Amino acid sequence: MEEEKDKRATAAQVTAAAPVGYIDSVYCGSGVDGNGLRCVVFFAGCNLRCPFCHNPETLFKQGTMTDINSLVSRLERYKGYFRRGGVTLSGGEPFLQKSFALALVSALHAKGIRCCFETNGHIADAELIGAAEYLIVDVKNQESDDLAPYEKFFAECVRQDKEVRVTNVLVPGKNDGEEKLRALAALVKKYFPGEPSEHIKFLPFRKLCEEKYAELSIPFPYAGIRECERDDIEKANKILQNL
Amino acid sequence: MQTKFKPGKYENSIDVRDFIQVNYAPYEGGAEFLCGPTARTSALMDEVNALLKAESEKGGVLDVDTERVSSLLTYPAGYIDRENEIIVGLQTDAPLKRGVNPFGGIRMARQACEAYGYKLSDLVETEFSYKTTHNDAVFHVYTDEMKAVRHAGLLTGLPDAYGRGRIIGDYRRVALYGVDKLIEEKMKDKRAYGEKLMDENNIRTLEELYKQIDFLKKLKDMALLYGVDISAPAQNAKEAIQWTYFAYLAAIKEQNGAAMSLGRVSTFFDIYIERDIADGVLTEETAQELIDDFVIKLRITRQLRTPEYNDLFGGDPTWTTESVGGMGEDGRTLVTKTSYRILNTLYNLGAAPEPNLTVLWSERLPEPFKKFCAKVSVDTDSIQYENDDLMRPIFGDDYGIACCVSAMKIGKQMQFFGARCNLAKLLLLALNGGKDEKSGKQLGPEGESFAGALDYDKVRKAYHKYMEWLCRLYVNTLNVIHYMHDKYAYEKIQMALHDTEVERFLACGVAGLSVAVDSLSAIKYAKVTPVYNDEGIIYDFKIEGDFPKYGNDDDRVDKIAADLVREFSDELKKTPAYRGAKHTLSVLTITSNVVYGKKTGATPDGRAAGEPFAPGANPMHNRDLSGALASLNSVAKIPYECCRDGVSNTFSIVPSALGENDEDRAENLADMLDGYFGQGAHHLNVNVFDRAKLVAAMEHPELYPNVTIRVSGYAVNFHKLSKAHQLEVLKRTYHERV
Repeated sequence: MEEEKDKRATAAQVTAAAPVGYIDSVYCGSGVDGNGLRCVVFFAGCNLRCPFCHNPETLFKQGTMTDINSLVSRLERYKGYFRRGGVTLSGGEPFLQKSFALALVSALHAKGIRCCFETNGHIADAELIGAAEYLIVDVKNQESDDLAPYEKFFAECVRQDKEVRVTNVLVPGKNDGEEKLRALAALVKKYFPGEPSEHIKFLPFRKLCEEKYAELSIPFPYAGIRECERDDIEKANKILQNL
Repeated sequence: MQTKFKPGKYENSIDVRDFIQVNYAPYEGGAEFLCGPTARTSALMDEVNALLKAESEKGGVLDVDTERVSSLLTYPAGYIDRENEIIVGLQTDAPLKRGVNPFGGIRMARQACEAYGYKLSDLVETEFSYKTTHNDAVFHVYTDEMKAVRHAGLLTGLPDAYGRGRIIGDYRRVALYGVDKLIEEKMKDKRAYGEKLMDENNIRTLEELYKQIDFLKKLKDMALLYGVDISAPAQNAKEAIQWTYFAYLAAIKEQNGAAMSLGRVSTFFDIYIERDIADGVLTEETAQELIDDFVIKLRITRQLRTPEYNDLFGGDPTWTTESVGGMGEDGRTLVTKTSYRILNTLYNLGAAPEPNLTVLWSERLPEPFKKFCAKVSVDTDSIQYENDDLMRPIFGDDYGIACCVSAMKIGKQMQFFGARCNLAKLLLLALNGGKDEKSGKQLGPEGESFAGALDYDKVRKAYHKYMEWLCRLYVNTLNVIHYMHDKYAYEKIQMALHDTEVERFLACGVAGLSVAVDSLSAIKYAKVTPVYNDEGIIYDFKIEGDFPKYGNDDDRVDKIAADLVREFSDELKKTPAYRGAKHTLSVLTITSNVVYGKKTGATPDGRAAGEPFAPGANPMHNRDLSGALASLNSVAKIPYECCRDGVSNTFSIVPSALGENDEDRAENLADMLDGYFGQGAHHLNVNVFDRAKLVAAMEHPELYPNVTIRVSGYAVNFHKLSKAHQLEVLKRTYHERV
């Protein structure tokens, strides 16, 4: 299900060769998508179909065609806030629009603005990894136990000595059991020094996106699953630390 | 032996700034030196908290003295707990007991008493039946047109029935020089004026100088009621704080202005405190105790208001604004250890809206201080920030903020508070050819009416025409008010603590900016067609298509906002102001945005009739959807050069959106302030608050008695707000990233 490719995402990949990209939206003022204050560029199109996705609009809409210059001049207005922060390329999957993403990062670098990526880690592109200040990789182990794509991705990050911050959406009953957590920890331990718990941040599964699904007239696959509470996160962290 | 202060110009003339510059010690370190409250402080605060609880249980007013008229010598000495107080002095003879001040208007005083179950005594009633109050005098002169626009709510909150406030006496002068020296200087000025031509202006000044001197003498007598002689300069930190507090106390006994602000005292106090600590007569603990005790007094400042007044300005505010920090003109920071100590009262005494602690932010403030302020914001939600880098070049480095956003050189400048004009309602008036959209009455000159889809240029032209008309009427109305206030309710003690040659501002204001701006944007970029009632008055608008909204960093609409305030400011200046005052403008509503909304019909931006406006210069609720920084960037475009009385922005953010942990939140908040003010923005209220917590506070006020939030330039206790205000706060965009 995750691996199933959407026709539109493929279309986005094709157009990525041109210096224009497809953007869902730009959010200016996040304190939780990397270091410091950030502007987040949500790329349209994704190669995965995660049933807990909280940005479904980036999956099924084509997004707005955007050229580098207008996007950079918009983002540049926020430079004064970026003492520790910068721009986060997120989505959707930013790695799908390679040439656009690379051009965006290099244009922002030229203006003295740092960039990081939020990615699903399924496209281990050496150039894109090289362009990031650091990478936030969300490991999807809710429906699948196949962590092979991440092996390849992390190996490239290690080769280039890039900092990786692993996130994992904790879905009650799906990936909060010891077995799943053990596999996740083993994956992280294999590539990054120290305790896996230092690298992994659990994000609580929330259903704030339900209205977005309703608006798109598509069912929310995880509608029947309860939200992740603070206790669930604490429990998972404890398991991770005691492995 | 006591260390002597360094000599300076201040010894030869009244010059508090010079004393500060010569003697203060900038502090660039962190907060680690601070001390918690002493057992005495905590015990006294417990007593105060019990009184506050009793006040709240009695419906907001604990007691009223209906027999006497408030002034400096009306009441015997009052105490909270005589043995355990360090800084003494209450407004009346008991804590939280409110005095009656009918000089602004007897009717307001009478109604306020009655609203809380009291009756103004026959004695006071009789006495004032022979007096002309400020309110009487204004209405003797008001024209029909002035009364009509006031009644319709086109001009609202005018200070014509109570003290105008917004004047900051330089209360520090009393500590530095003692009252005798201040009297001597004023006598000198009076003699000099006696040599001049006896024209109306000079006679008025002479009479005012007489009143000032008279009240300086009364100030001395007031202090003597507490057994303190303040004729000579204060000799130590405790005296400096006590002398300064007496001066402030005299002002709030004499006047019941909406905003009775304190000025900029902490760095001044620091000079005395650090000397006492160096001389071994004070410790950090006892220094903090002095500041804590002083702040306890400021927290129980009260004025008797009507419930209608509270509808306008929620939360029983006094705007005891203290400006903290900032940079000096010579590049040294004005942050001292006492800047930290006064912010530390929010921990030692618990979070509270008063005094209204206002940090003067500069990019060059010491980093540890920036971080400490941001941490205090995240922890207590009780600080507002204003751009020192923007104001210092205009007001120097010894200015203070009156009320929320009004800057003035302390002791050298004053303002005539002018409340505000409802810009959104003015637009409706223009669309209705000068008729009030609520009553249908002709308020302004008759103009052409509009048919079919609105044409932007035509609307803009009509709007300008009505702006010309209203600005002239507005300034004229304010001239009447302030002429009469000077005549019948002159601020004797506060003006005695100003230079005799004082610079005056006529502080005008606008409300409903974002509604007016989005309405114009809708007319320009979408298709807007008015819907008329049977009398031919527009009661609604049909809006087709989308339009850019203020608050998304979109120049197409943000430019309309900047143009609008510039246009309004230019129009105001065309009518000369009373006493040669300079016209200034604020974009500020405090919490009155709710009442202004109630008085305004449906607007072309899609806002329903009666719906609250956004406060101050804020974008409309839930329309700033591009993120917190985009919203800030839009407001930053309002030009301070034509809004010299301040541009207020209230910013709410849930903690989880600001950062993952407390340290990140504080760092990010500091970055946010640097980024915002770096663009020349003027003011920011910061609410770091969970929406869930606010909802809980609304449902269970008894469980969240100390919830402090910031509302447009002012921090209020959430539970003191009316239900309508609470809902409005909830509705305000929470910049929650999902």
